Amino acid sequence: MAGTIAGQDRRKAFMLLSPAYLWLTVAVFLPLSAMAYFSFLSEVPFDGRDWHFTIANYRAFFETGTYATLLWKSLKLGLVVTAVSVVIGFPCAYVLAKVVKGRAREALFLLVILPFWSNSLVRIFSWAIVLRGNGVLDRAVNAVLPWDVKLNLMFSPTAIVIGLVHSYLPYVILTSYLALQAIDDSLIEAARSLGAKRRTILWRLILPLAAPGIIAGAVLIFVPVVGSFMEPRLLGGRLGTYYGTVIEDQFVAVFNWPLGAALSFILLAVVLAILAAASPVLKRAAT
Amino acid sequence: MKSLLLTTALALTAGGAFAEEIRVLNWQGYGTDLDWAVADFTEKTGNTVVHEYFTSEQEMLTKLRTNPGAYDVVLINSAYTKQAKDEGLIDAIDTAKIANFADLDPALTGNEDLNPGGQLSGVPWTWGLTSIAVNTADFAEMPTSLSVLWDPAWKGRVSIRDDGLEAVQFAAMATGQNINEITDMAAVEAKLKELLPQITTFWSSENDWNQFMSAGDFAVATYWSGSAARSLSKGLPIAFVVPEEGAIGWLDGLSIPTSSTKKDAAAAFIDWMVDPEFYVKWDAEGAPVSSNTKALAALPETSFNRQLVADPATVARVQFMRPVSDADRETYLKLWQDMKAAQ
Amino acid sequence: MSNRFLAHLGRAYLGLILFFLYAPILVMAAMSLNASEFYQLPFKFSGEWYDRLWNNREILAAAGRSIWIAVVVTVLATTLGTAASIALYRHDFPGKRILQALLFPPIAIPWLITGTAMLIFFFGIGIGRGTPAVIIGHVALALPYVIVVVSARLASFDRVLEEAARSLGASAWQVTRAVTVPWILPGIIAGGLFAFAVSFDQFVVSYFLSEPGDTTLPVLIYTSIRKGFTPEINAISTIIIAVSMGLMLLAARFTKFGGDR
Repeated sequence: MAGTIAGQDRRKAFMLLSPAYLWLTVAVFLPLSAMAYFSFLSEVPFDGRDWHFTIANYRAFFETGTYATLLWKSLKLGLVVTAVSVVIGFPCAYVLAKVVKGRAREALFLLVILPFWSNSLVRIFSWAIVLRGNGVLDRAVNAVLPWDVKLNLMFSPTAIVIGLVHSYLPYVILTSYLALQAIDDSLIEAARSLGAKRRTILWRLILPLAAPGIIAGAVLIFVPVVGSFMEPRLLGGRLGTYYGTVIEDQFVAVFNWPLGAALSFILLAVVLAILAAASPVLKRAAT
Repeated sequence: MKSLLLTTALALTAGGAFAEEIRVLNWQGYGTDLDWAVADFTEKTGNTVVHEYFTSEQEMLTKLRTNPGAYDVVLINSAYTKQAKDEGLIDAIDTAKIANFADLDPALTGNEDLNPGGQLSGVPWTWGLTSIAVNTADFAEMPTSLSVLWDPAWKGRVSIRDDGLEAVQFAAMATGQNINEITDMAAVEAKLKELLPQITTFWSSENDWNQFMSAGDFAVATYWSGSAARSLSKGLPIAFVVPEEGAIGWLDGLSIPTSSTKKDAAAAFIDWMVDPEFYVKWDAEGAPVSSNTKALAALPETSFNRQLVADPATVARVQFMRPVSDADRETYLKLWQDMKAAQ
Repeated sequence: MSNRFLAHLGRAYLGLILFFLYAPILVMAAMSLNASEFYQLPFKFSGEWYDRLWNNREILAAAGRSIWIAVVVTVLATTLGTAASIALYRHDFPGKRILQALLFPPIAIPWLITGTAMLIFFFGIGIGRGTPAVIIGHVALALPYVIVVVSARLASFDRVLEEAARSLGASAWQVTRAVTVPWILPGIIAGGLFAFAVSFDQFVVSYFLSEPGDTTLPVLIYTSIRKGFTPEINAISTIIIAVSMGLMLLAARFTKFGGDR
């Protein structure tokens, strides 16, 4: 009896899961498997090229310090951007979920994501106009302050972080909102009437219950930021070389897909390892 | 005009080559896709033109490899023509189908790199220089040497393109070497190391270049001559300089893919692209140098390109870029990445 | 500090964040009305870019294509993604962790690599290029975002509600429709909004998989960057944002999806 229920259960799960995963298999997993295969070749096997199996592309990562240095730099960037986004975004989500009431909430919910229905490149160039010396920010600050300030944030790590936080902030705001809004207000009221302090309510009640949302948002920020190259290149100036840049170069500047693929899979492995290592900690935070 | 009628007649006699849709693979906004040029071509031959763009040479090759039959005309830099021919991606050109061919500069039609295996495989179309441009608001007197990039006075306002090969070639020129036969890589490396602290940012497209230059982020930066002509025509206060150490020359050809099924219409389009009537109009908007000597002679005296080629001494300093092996490209890229990573 | 004071402080903070989110959008809109082609300051008013936009068929067509592709992608990705999220929430089975981990490769690996891989693979198996291929690619890239977001909402869903409905004799489909979906609706909407954003800003996949001539807006922007694009791009982006904002405010006025109890 138990067996048939489990069987039926599995069939249902399969029916719900298979469309999405079949789609992912055809459009992403199989193509990426081809890339994974290329990463073990000496050359892309287009006609006329000699190729053989090799692990040289993976070894290349360790042969010089460059790739590891850049990967470390990218991981740090991912952590900073994620941390800043969570710290800025969570209170915003809280206000949206618990303070704003009625129709305004629906409107604000939509307005948070709307800026991202525009082109990322156009947004980055807009940031350049804001951040550069004698740009919008510099002019605005000097118009307000009586003394002279020289404000030039362009072509610096700060500019990269501002651009990336801006690009990814809506993820953590909306996912945190989804979790926060689900918390029953009467639960908070009950805690309060029992004399719990605000800080206790935040740390012992709200944060643990909102953790799945915060974590989902943080993951959706950290993972893509580690491989980003557009914002760093355009906003970071001379210092804007990151791990994503050297991957891109293998496809654009030279025809070395095998090395580019190997570097990508190393990135994937490191990111998954970090997520796996963090998951027990995150799980504890969630319960 | 006469040549076009001739081409049309040729296309007709070739049979069934009339009123076809040809597909052109090129950089966006690089001559072939000018609205008026395409409209004129359609009016004159009946053939219509659809464009597809690439954003790097590697990608252009990938597209040719993976989409057989999709393209009829492709722009290939002479440094890549041999590779494309060797891979069987493009055909030799039947010059009889190109009425303007006789007017093309023989030095260019005879260019070794456009003639892999002795067969012309890309019709020389345009050429130009990669050199330096300066902001005329900062420079009262034009610099004469590449060393201006290393001048501490401009620290933080210098830019070069984010490209390992080009960076290495500039350093090679600055150390007195031939860009196609770099013998002293150590000197190149040392020179680049000195350059990096000078840089404000690397540019990667004409779009960033124009914006950064007009905002005053750049005082001096490497640039392409065709782009400089265009930026000047849009009113940017810049001057293009060919320093005494020389400049990098590049030559772009138009080729016909082996897999094209509309080769006559493709040849007719290439013929229009090297026609003086087309070029004179294009030059007014900012263009590189034409391969057609009659087209150059037809330019007004004030034209940027006319002035650029007017001085034989300038032209003599140009080092034309030869094909670069994959291994060398990868070495230069690695060197460049190592240096950028160390910043 | 009183609660009312805190509430005001909170609203002010929310306003500040919205200002940050809209700062580049405001700059983008301002530059669409600035005379300088290179976004040069000081600002000088000009309607030239809008005039030119009306006559630029290429940009208008590309914007239209981008919008309808994004709408199709949003519907498909949200439907498939929601179904998968519900299955991952309700059922336990061997390999579930692996399925969840498999959502990360499409997010972690730069789109350039995934796009190149799709190009080769789609040609290998005969899907080739064209709008169907573009949509297949976009949906696949948007799916992980939808699944992660909807799952984040499901995590706070109490299964007791489903069980109670079942014990009252409702079928599984009825439970899903009447209990589960209304509860996770905010998550589905958020997932859909992200799916739209992913598709609407997707360059690499559209670029590799479109037929020549069938450009989308991001492809047009990226390919014209080498020679420089004009503020016509700012103009079209501003119009799209303004119209979307109008539609969203209407939607917010007449529907409820924020998860009010």
